Formats: sequence, C-alpha cells, structure tokens
Amino acid sequence: MSDAPALPEETVEKARPPIAEAWEMFRKNHAAVAALVVLILIVLAAIFGPALYGTDPFDMVWAPFSPPGADGFLLGTDYLGRDLTALILSGARVSLVIGLAAALVSVFIGVTVGALAGFYRGVVEEVLMRITEFFQVLPTLLFSMVIVALFGASLPMITFAIGVVSWTAVARITRGEFLRIRELEYVTASRASGASNLKLMFKVILPNALTPIIVQSALMVGGAILFEAGLSFLGLTDPNVVSWGQIIGSNRTYILESPFTVTIPGLAIFITVLAISLVGDGLNDALNPKLRQR
Amino acid sequence: MRHMFKQFLTATAAAALLATSAMADEPKRGGTLVTVITSTPRVLNPAVQSGIATGFPGAQLFASPLRYDDSWTPQPYLAKSWEVSEDGLKVTLHLVENATFHDGQPITSEDVAFSVDVIKEYHPFKSMFAPVTSVDTPDAHTAVINLSKPHPALMLAMSGQLMSIIPKHIYGDGQDPKNHPRNNVDVVGSGPFKLVEFKNGEHIILERYDGFFMEGRPYLDKIVMRIMPDSSARAIALENGELMLAAFEAEPTLIQRLSKVKGLNITNKGYGGIGPIDWLAMNTTRGPLQDKRVRQAIAYAIDKNFILKAILRGTAVEAKTGIHPDSPLYDADVNNYPLDLDKAAALLDEAGFPMKDGKRFDLTLELAPFPGYKPQTEYIKQALSKVGINATIHSSADFPSWAKMMGTLDFDMSLDSVYNWGDPVIGVNRTYMSDNIGKGVWSNTQGYANARVDELLQMAGTENDPEKRKALYKEFQEIVADEVPIYFLNAVPMHTIYSDKVGNPPMGIWGTSSPIDMTYLKD
Repeated sequence: MSDAPALPEETVEKARPPIAEAWEMFRKNHAAVAALVVLILIVLAAIFGPALYGTDPFDMVWAPFSPPGADGFLLGTDYLGRDLTALILSGARVSLVIGLAAALVSVFIGVTVGALAGFYRGVVEEVLMRITEFFQVLPTLLFSMVIVALFGASLPMITFAIGVVSWTAVARITRGEFLRIRELEYVTASRASGASNLKLMFKVILPNALTPIIVQSALMVGGAILFEAGLSFLGLTDPNVVSWGQIIGSNRTYILESPFTVTIPGLAIFITVLAISLVGDGLNDALNPKLRQR
Repeated sequence: MRHMFKQFLTATAAAALLATSAMADEPKRGGTLVTVITSTPRVLNPAVQSGIATGFPGAQLFASPLRYDDSWTPQPYLAKSWEVSEDGLKVTLHLVENATFHDGQPITSEDVAFSVDVIKEYHPFKSMFAPVTSVDTPDAHTAVINLSKPHPALMLAMSGQLMSIIPKHIYGDGQDPKNHPRNNVDVVGSGPFKLVEFKNGEHIILERYDGFFMEGRPYLDKIVMRIMPDSSARAIALENGELMLAAFEAEPTLIQRLSKVKGLNITNKGYGGIGPIDWLAMNTTRGPLQDKRVRQAIAYAIDKNFILKAILRGTAVEAKTGIHPDSPLYDADVNNYPLDLDKAAALLDEAGFPMKDGKRFDLTLELAPFPGYKPQTEYIKQALSKVGINATIHSSADFPSWAKMMGTLDFDMSLDSVYNWGDPVIGVNRTYMSDNIGKGVWSNTQGYANARVDELLQMAGTENDPEKRKALYKEFQEIVADEVPIYFLNAVPMHTIYSDKVGNPPMGIWGTSSPIDMTYLKD
C-alpha cells in the first residue's frame, strides 16, 4: 500500500511472514488441526464424491429402509429406496454451498452496514444501528421462514433468507473496529494526503479490521448450515435438490422404525458444524494479535 | 399381576361367549367414549359447513332423514319411511312422531322444509339440492320434496352429515345461518347427543340426549372428542389407551405401527361414502399434456405398485377410476396402465416428442400442500425421468396459493386428493363436467372437456333405475380411464382405529360422519 508509512528495513527482515506466524499459532491448537483435516475431507467428498460414487441420489435403487451395510449399501436406503450414501454426498454439496453463500451474503451486508455506521457516525450510524437492532430482535428462524414461504423455496432465495437474518453480529463487530481504527494516526495521515472516503473505508481501515470479521464469518458458515437444515426440516426447501436437513425432514416420519435415515444425515451436520467451529476457534487463536503475544 | 389376571379372565370370557352365542355382542348402556378429531371445526352445524371436522360432532348433534348401513342400503332414521313418486319428481318423507329437538320442541316437517332451504342456500355442495323446487308440508310429520327433474342423488344427500335437520325456531330468527351464534354454543340439535362444551383447540364434549327418538339409544352416556392435530400425539394416546377411537387416520407408518399394538383394532371400513381418492391431476389445456398419448405414457411410466406397496405400505386400495372402490358404482374393469416403459416411450415418440439428449420435454409437478404427498411426488418425478420427461417439483407457499393455481389451471401436474361425498352427482361430476372448468380448487382443474362425458353424467344424474344408472357410470369411467385427464392412484388409506373396549364402532358408509348411537363400551 503506497500511502502507508514504510516500516524500518530491519523489522521487515526479522519478522516472519504473518501467514507462517498464524499457522504456527493455529498448529498449537490440536483440536483445530484435526477439525481442519476433517473439514478438508468433507469438502473433498462434496466436490468429488458424487461423481466418484456414481449413483444418482434420486434413483430408487433398492428396497426402502435397507439398514446400513445390508445388500452392499454402505449407509442403507431411505423411504423411497434411494441410496443414502449418494444422498449424503450430494447433500454435502448443497449444505456446504448454502452455508458458504449465506455466510458471504451476511458478511457483505454486515460489513457494508458496519463500515458505513462506524465511518460516518452521526445520523448515519444512528439509523443503521437502529436497523441492525431491529434485525437483532426479530426471531430469525421465523423471519427467514416468512421470506422463503413468500418468495418460493429456491436455493438462491433460501441462501438470501439465511443471510439476511444473520448479518447483525458482523455489522456490530465491523462498526466497533471502524470506530477504533478511524481514530488511529495512519488513517488521519491517509485522510490528510487526500484519500477519498471510499478509499479510506475499504482500502485503509477495512484490511486492518478484517481479523475478527474473518473469525466471525468462519463461525457463521456453521451457523448457516444449521439454519438451512432447520428450514429444510420444516419443509421449506427446494424439493428438486437434496440437502442434509432435507433428508432428515423427509425421513422423520419413519424415525421409529428406521432411525438411521435420520441419524446419519444428522451426524453429518453435527460433524461438519463442529469442525467448522473448531477451525474458527483455531483461526481466532491464530489471528488475534492479543493472544499472539501471550 | 392383577392386570394380567384380568386380561386372562376377559380372554377366557370372550372365548366362552364366542363359542356359545352372540350374547357377547349385546350392547350395554353407559360409559364415556374418548375419541379425537384432528382439527377444530369452524362450526358444529353441518347444514352450513362441509368437511369431516364438522361431520363427526355434527352428525351426533343433528339427525338426518336417512342413514346408510355398510352395504349402501338406506335405513330409516328421522324418516320412518319414504317413497319416490313414479315420475321421480316427488319424494315423500314420513317423519317419526316422537322426535324432539334437544330443547324439547317437536321435530316437524316445517323444520325439514326449513333445513332444506338453509342447506340449499348455504351449504357448499350446491348439486345436492339443486333440483329441489319446494318442500310441501301437508301435515306435521309429512314432508314432500318437489323436484324439477328426477334426482337419485337425493337419497345419499339425505343421510350422513349432508342433510342435518336444524330447528327452525332457533335458526329461523333472521340471522345469517352461516355465522349464526348458535352454531357453536347452546346448540339445539336433533341427534342422539347434545352439546355440553366446545372449547376451541381443546375438546368437544357431548352427552346422551335422553329424549332421543330411538328407544334405548344412544348407548354411550358421553363422548369426549379431543382436538389433536398432531398424528404422533394421537398415535401415542391410542397406544396408551387415552383414546379409544380415532377415525380418518391415513398415515401409512402410523397405521402399520398401531396395527401391531395389542388391544387396538384397525379397519378401513366406513369410508366409502366420503370416498376419498388420491390421484395425479394433469392439465389437459396446455403443453404436451394436451395429447392423450402423452398422458397415457405418463400412466405407463408410473409404477402404481411401488406407490401402493413401498410408499403406502399396503395400507391403501388401488383406485382405477374417479369413483371410490367401495362404491357399488365403481367399475374395476377399465383400461389399466401397468408399468411399461417401452410402451410409454413408443406413445411419446408417436405424439411427436422424440428423445433428444436424454430428454423429451419439461413439466412442472406441483407438491400438494397437505402432509403425506411428498414421497409420491418425488417418486413420480423420478419415474417420469426414466422416459425422458423432466419434471421439476414446485412447492407452493401455502394451501391458498396452491388452490389458486389449481383453480385457474396454472399448473402442469399435481397430486390431489378429492372426496366423492356419497353420490357421484355430489362429489364426482365437479371434476369432469366441462361447465365446471377452472371454478376454483376441486373443480374441473384438468380443463377436461368431453361432450359424451358431460352427456353421460347428465343422464346418470336423472336416472332413477339403478341398473341403467350403473351402466351410464360404467361408460363414463371407461372414457375417463382411456383419456387419462387424471391418473387415479389409490383410495386414501383412511382407517378407523379402536380399542377392544369399543363395541359396534362406526362402519357404515359414512363412518364417523353418521350417528354413533349404536356404539357402546364393553366392560
């Protein structure tokens, strides 16, 4: 960044690259490392699994409710005799994509609102923070149910519905960071050297406020996956695609006789969300400068 | 231990009695029957409200002129006898003399005439009394129904919950009968039970009416109808004996589960009158579905056996036509569409939809907004993909938006569940008559128009000779099965579940939508 004051030469030489340092911190958190491995496996399975496994998840391949392991079906079959392994693999794709996309939507809304509020202060802050509070007190699941019910249960709409109800935490964190950083000297210096407001916000302040936002967004991916599972459990989902929550939702009538059709996707959600949380925790360790000094 | 001993005693007692005579079936007076309805009825007065939620309490509170046994034979009820004139234009009812409303006022022909007027004007089933021009009341216990044309459907329309006799001195006070305050509180009925309490969302409590006109009836002292919308809650309550009787249970897993419970009995008898059928409705007015061959191909591509065995788990009976399989008018001998993918493909080729890149054409498949239809819908989507029809499932936000879409023919295909309500004139014609196209949900939502079908239904509606009538309906069923505006799947697997303690559970064609004055509790 050209406007930033140059650091003395010797400091630059001695400091290790920040990524390496962060990795060092991350590595010390063993749970986070294990979770990262699991998460990578899940992502790989979601990307390559359906193609490698080959079975169409919507195809009725065997007698309904064959238990896991029976007749060559690793995870058994569901109420229509569809291969649960294929369903879980395809479901992983949808669940992860929705989780990521919804987290992105809420980060986008949250960062925009928080940045504007923290940067301009005054009336803008008042208005934006009242709006944020309004969204904070809305019952999130109900509100997103209303959105999906009104505008149709397509994947983009579900993603939007989840994103639009869960951005408030990001907005508040961003605003807090902006309030702190905007008073720092290098910001004043940039302002003095004629940087525009837009440039100040997104080129000068935001990069330095990113750390807590990244940690929060990582955690939000897990939250969004759970959210999507909740919505599809209630039947608010696109019936033409399969997600983990949807598998649970449509098999729940049969929970007493074939509990595995519900517990297996449930376990998938549990493991994924737990892994994301632990990785987020590790990220927090790695990126939080205060912890780094300890 | 004591419990077991008691069970042993009843078992031996039952065995002994079975061996000797029918003495065991001697009904006994007294007791409280705890039963259930699945939703809170809007009103308890079946003269102004259709539906099974109103039907159960409504048929206990109000009597109708006739009742039907389980073999579709009319039996005297409020009318001790009746006759139809030679030309079929006059139906004379002779009412029982000692019948009184729950406030002690006698039930007279005036009340019958008044009830017919109210039902004709306010009940949603307009075809029931449409040909009725007037009701004469030559004396207090004779009512003569005058018709503009012969109307055999009147017999079934005078039974069950369809023709409740309501008191003129209560409902004739000038207030709107549809929203009359006495529809829910202080109900003065004509039936075997009177209202004690109606608590919205909780329960309806009925008590035996001592002045009921049938000697010794009803047997029960009290009926408690709990309002329980959740099927698993009902299942648990049945399992642990809190509920003694539940009707209209149609969830296959629940039926299977409860059929294994000791002390519970399950029957699918008693639903022929209401006549519920599940089917795949196809919009014949647009796209590839306009072509009869395409619709036949769809029928060939769907494996009904999979739906009956795997999804409905053998709880449902196959339906081949728009008339319920229990009805004497049902014709099982129509065009059949066993699974045949080659035939389906050939028909689609012939219709001009060749396979291109693994696909012939796209359709939308609506997800019906009532519970329990998702597996079938998912299955049909997948089955159609096998013959190159790419069906996309669309789910509506709620019932009204689905109903609007169906009613305005703004759909390709949807599963639907439609009830016969006794005579075909009442519940079947509406689906096929070309003058009823697009008149809202459960009208002719297929946009189906066939002059011969119109003519047949018209003729059958005024044909008093049962054999000729049956022949007309047979031809109608054959045409519809051949042209497939609807692919019929199954009779809705409605079941009545009752405990061993319940004697004479309602099994007539109207099930619980008729008086349960003969039901009793065993010791």
